[in-house]
Amino acid sequence: MARDAETAQRDTAAEDALARPSLVRPTAGAVAPSGFSGLPGSADDIMSYPYTTDLAAIRAVVQRHAVKAGLSEARAIDLVLAVSEVAGNTVRHAKSPGQLQIWCDAKQIICQLHDEGVITDPLAGRRRPSLEARGGHGLWIVNEVCDQVDILSDETGTTIRMHMDLPG
Amino acid sequence: MDLLTVSVTARESAGESYTLVEIAGEADVTNTDELRRLLDEEVAQQPRTLIIDLSGLRFMDSSALHALLRVNRSMDRQGGVLALVSPQAAVAKILRLTTADRLIPVFDSVTEAAAG
Repeated sequence: MARDAETAQRDTAAEDALARPSLVRPTAGAVAPSGFSGLPGSADDIMSYPYTTDLAAIRAVVQRHAVKAGLSEARAIDLVLAVSEVAGNTVRHAKSPGQLQIWCDAKQIICQLHDEGVITDPLAGRRRPSLEARGGHGLWIVNEVCDQVDILSDETGTTIRMHMDLPG
Repeated sequence: MDLLTVSVTARESAGESYTLVEIAGEADVTNTDELRRLLDEEVAQQPRTLIIDLSGLRFMDSSALHALLRVNRSMDRQGGVLALVSPQAAVAKILRLTTADRLIPVFDSVTEAAAG
């Protein structure tokens, strides 16, 4: 009980550190980058969170949304890990802040991250890296734990959309 | 509150000394450099056994995992042993997913790890 209270308090504190989330209406094409199919018509309100290096706050936000959406504890852990890896890539490679957007429909919770970094390897994250490798586990983990991953990268930046099926 | 805390103690079990490092909080790319530096300091002391207690660590990402893998390689090279203890669910997941838990032994308690 004390632990729950402590966790809740920590999450709140961490989220306070984030810029206040803005509520984005899912108008067609407003959020989805070109090349992606648009947002699902049934999508509820989309929560947007800009981030820089505040990864703990981003994880707390994703954890809260995952639980609220009905993901099991294990799948919530997976989604938090996946989002943290992608946001960590922003910290490592992008020279500008990133944007996390979260929405749900009847069947899925979706976390989409956008930053100005560019991924040039079309097979990024598709091959299991060796444990001797100095890096490259991030996107591979994302592909392993999520039910579906869409990656769109061009000279203007990278958008990664991670889908998790809700228990049905 | 620091996101990550690391504390180190020298201990002994059945006449064998070992170094115990307790990592608590959340380890990610924003504090990996610090984690790596602190772990390198301990590896440089050339302990025969280095035990890392993960029970207080709520989260670990792939960059922190690489820091642990690096420690494992260094310990290997100098003829020592690295052992991990009590990972929480999120940390256990990344260890299992990457099969790092097949490379580095994972124990339920420091006592078991110290006994080898």
